[in-house]
Amino acid sequence: MLEMKTTSLRLSGILACVSAALGLSVCHASASALEADSVIGLGEVLVTAAPRKLATVQSLQGAELQSLSTTSIADALKYFAGVQIKDYGGLGGLKTVNVRSLGAQHVGVYIDGIRITNAQNGTVDLGKFSLSTLESVSLYNANKLDDCQSASEYASGATVYMHTRRPARDSLSLAARWASFHTYMGRANAQFCRGGWSGFIDGEYLNSKGDYPFRYHSEYEDTVGRRRNSDIEYGRVEAALFKGGFASHIYYYQSERGCPGGIVRRLSDKYTNVGREWDRDCFVQASYIHSFSKFFQVKANTKYAHEYLRYCTDYPENQNTARVDNHYRQHDGYASLSAAYRPAGWLSVSAGYDVRMSWLDADLKRFCPVRRTDQKAVLAAQLNYRSLRLAASMLYQHYKDRTRLKAGAAEPLSRFTPSVSAGLALGPLTLRAWYKKIFRAPTLNDLYYTQTGNRNLKPEYTRQLDFGVEYGLVSRRWVASVQADVYVNRIEDRIVCLPLKGTYTWSMMNYGETFCRGLNVNASGRYMAGPWSFSLLTSLTWQRDLNRTDPENEDTYNKPICYSPTLSAGITAIAAWKGFSLTVSELYVGERMWSYADPEDVLKPYNNVDLKLSAEFWKSLVSLEVNDLLDVQYEHIPRYPMPGRNFRLTLAYTF
Amino acid sequence: MSYRFKYLAALLSLLLASASVARERIILLNEGNWQADNGRITYFEDGAVVSNQWFRDVNGMKLGDTPEDIIQINDNLIAISVNWSNIVQFITPEGKAVAATEDVPNNRKLASDGDYVYISSYGHECGIGGGFMEFTKGFVAKIDVSTFKVVAACEVGWEPEGIALYNGHLFVANTGGYAFQEAHDYETTVSIIDAATMRVVRNVDTGQINLYGKMSQSGKYLCINSPGDYYDIQAATIVFDCDKALGGAPDEECFVKLEYAATYNCVTPDGRFYAIGSRYSYYTSEYEFNYITIDPAEVMESEGASGIVEEFPGTVLQDIRRMSMPYGIYVNPYTGYIYATDAGSFAEAGALYQWSPEGRLLGKHKVYINPAHFLALKPDVSSGLDETIVQEKEDTRLFNLQGMPVTRPRKGEVYISRGKKFIYR
Repeated sequence: MLEMKTTSLRLSGILACVSAALGLSVCHASASALEADSVIGLGEVLVTAAPRKLATVQSLQGAELQSLSTTSIADALKYFAGVQIKDYGGLGGLKTVNVRSLGAQHVGVYIDGIRITNAQNGTVDLGKFSLSTLESVSLYNANKLDDCQSASEYASGATVYMHTRRPARDSLSLAARWASFHTYMGRANAQFCRGGWSGFIDGEYLNSKGDYPFRYHSEYEDTVGRRRNSDIEYGRVEAALFKGGFASHIYYYQSERGCPGGIVRRLSDKYTNVGREWDRDCFVQASYIHSFSKFFQVKANTKYAHEYLRYCTDYPENQNTARVDNHYRQHDGYASLSAAYRPAGWLSVSAGYDVRMSWLDADLKRFCPVRRTDQKAVLAAQLNYRSLRLAASMLYQHYKDRTRLKAGAAEPLSRFTPSVSAGLALGPLTLRAWYKKIFRAPTLNDLYYTQTGNRNLKPEYTRQLDFGVEYGLVSRRWVASVQADVYVNRIEDRIVCLPLKGTYTWSMMNYGETFCRGLNVNASGRYMAGPWSFSLLTSLTWQRDLNRTDPENEDTYNKPICYSPTLSAGITAIAAWKGFSLTVSELYVGERMWSYADPEDVLKPYNNVDLKLSAEFWKSLVSLEVNDLLDVQYEHIPRYPMPGRNFRLTLAYTF
Repeated sequence: MSYRFKYLAALLSLLLASASVARERIILLNEGNWQADNGRITYFEDGAVVSNQWFRDVNGMKLGDTPEDIIQINDNLIAISVNWSNIVQFITPEGKAVAATEDVPNNRKLASDGDYVYISSYGHECGIGGGFMEFTKGFVAKIDVSTFKVVAACEVGWEPEGIALYNGHLFVANTGGYAFQEAHDYETTVSIIDAATMRVVRNVDTGQINLYGKMSQSGKYLCINSPGDYYDIQAATIVFDCDKALGGAPDEECFVKLEYAATYNCVTPDGRFYAIGSRYSYYTSEYEFNYITIDPAEVMESEGASGIVEEFPGTVLQDIRRMSMPYGIYVNPYTGYIYATDAGSFAEAGALYQWSPEGRLLGKHKVYINPAHFLALKPDVSSGLDETIVQEKEDTRLFNLQGMPVTRPRKGEVYISRGKKFIYR
């Protein structure tokens, strides 16, 4: 078969995953003593007065977020129910998130309410974002359902919100980390808070060889080796400035990394399939929200983003692919305006309009710049009557591309999509139901990429239906909640890259339909007694994700979608005493098949046990993490081994 | 023991003996998924799949990633190019691995004269004599199967694909297939190499780009596919006359270009080609399928005006039309049985279809992912021949065990002269 599609395959990717779980649904923000960078002695802050969410949401915040053995957003999200992380392994491996099997491109990722976009392939590499500057990470299935949301916040099947922490005092902190596989990290954070203004500058540098050992052992194979070309070096600098309703953020990230291939039979180490990637991403964004009165609120967002990517395979140890050295550049300008009006206490109406201009250029053959204008408008209403809450929204999206490519631009795309939610609060119990229909527009890669792009693609539609129940308990010593959601979703006209019949080439096509039924359960509890606090966070996902593409094909029809586990579960226990804490997390992911061809084509179930011990004294913090304590060898994608047991030691000092 | 019982036992053992004699023996390479290390061999015998992981069953190890071609070298040896693993794997007809080399990275297609294997490669280096030979473009390597070492290599065009041996010369179809990513153009030439000296003696320009994919040989004729560039240049089939090219005819007289695609093609025992293909354009996203039988002699003579019929024997054509993704076609040269594969939707097991020589569908068998490349083994009978024809005329020609004419025999090797094997001294 052809191996010419290295770049496009790497960029578009195969579906893949791991699922996991755990989540908190009750809002109890706590800035207790364990944050890695700011050693603030604030006590517990329980925000129990927050209105109960109508949306299905899972959040990790403050101490809990920092107590998990996490360095990137992807590591935190894997503890949420219904989440599958796609990870090609390696420290620089692309990490994307898939929620309830909708696919990574249906998950919108937002920093402080503004979407991180990639016009080229529509996915966000979560490895590029650090947890250290975040106050919380939340996952909303369907809509967040706040007043005054921008239209683009309604435009994805699931949304991940990263909420930046607003500093509460002046400080300077430095941290250093040593970790397995020749990994070194240094970080500095300076923050201030005065006169109503607050802000920070945060810089991080990491260098890792990523040369972790792996082993494949079976009756017909005993392969041991070290991952090669899995190194990464990156620098990230970001700064934010806040005052009241004004928030701004500037971000710069630069990296060089190896993109290792699958572990296949080789007679020696002479040849490796080397691809290397360089990234330079930057964005600057600002938002302002202003309430004119009790009744009227306006929000404006604006953002400019630039992404540069270079992908090179021209190395002597790579004899297997075309020798490419391609450069991709994207510019993205965005502005939105939304307003909410609350004519009566029980009713609020909001409207929003977004416009985004994206420009993509690449030095590919048969490619020339493509420009996309993407406009969205939304009208939403929320009704709050006694214990009943109703929300409805209608979103309009319009996409128009311009290009001088000979094949021409795709036809403009205009669509309306609705969503509705209903909730009923019965004491500590909330019942909810929601429906959402949404599509993802074909990305610029899908439409125009040389030798795979297909400008006749239709949008990929998803329809989701969810029934949930939530129970919350707050007492002097206890905070506990349980939520369970059953859901059904359908995806039509999936956009996939398939070989073309009777040729030797591939193309993007609308092919496939899936039908998924699932159950997400989260239970969490926290008990506090004097200096002690104990938390238990659990989550469980049961899912039946079926291929409904071709009724004639008995090998695939109504069979599970590849890479989708039926069962996954996570459990995290945190014990804290004064400045000390111990976190133990366990993640189970069930068996996943990766082809329909042979019952032995499955990825084995695995258990990951992570441990984190941290201690804080004299303005310093020491933490030791052991990930994959049992040294379980596992994969998200066949022949892309994940690292086994590894250690991290972090030291931090705050002035 | 009664006389009757003895008689029965004798009859039974006779039956068993004849049942163990297989006529249809097919080795089929399943490419698997790229970078998933799941290339597999199917072994098919007399209407049933014996194993879909034959190599693993026999050797207790995996074959590797994306097997690309298979060829019989001599009675005892078969070569398989395992492309993404960079391995040329040698096995016996019983499936036992005997040797493997990674001296020819990015290996593609194979040809053999019984003593040497010739391999085309998209790579730019070749392990030879303990060192490495570097090439700007692609190359062809020559492996001596008595040592399994590369003994010579020569540069041809960019990304050389199909390779055939005729009259001591290698005919190599150059593709330039990386042209859509690399800074060079597509190739349009067939390089002719003297197999003994491994020097390019001639390049025949076909005027058609990207001579990519399966290439079949029928005596002096080659059937070469060109998928075009999927944009402005349409797919085509080149029927090539090796004799004319060796005889020094001008380039344009050495081949005929047909306005059909031959994405998957094979040779029939009577010397014709079967071809399945489609012509595709990224501008329109439209397909144009064709299923043709080519009579190369007639095509060459009529310059393409005749010699092509859009039919296959029996129900073969209508059965192939019903496939979701035809992925290979083959005719057993010993028996005339027809085979084709369907790759389905590339995530499930592909299917192997078998027809009688008349084109009666005999069965459909589940194999593995992306079944693509075939090799028939000699039928399991004493000679494999039902009758022998004695040539009256004095014939001094020498043939190797493949039946290919040999001009420079080597001492100590086995050759065939006038239908008999002998050792050349």
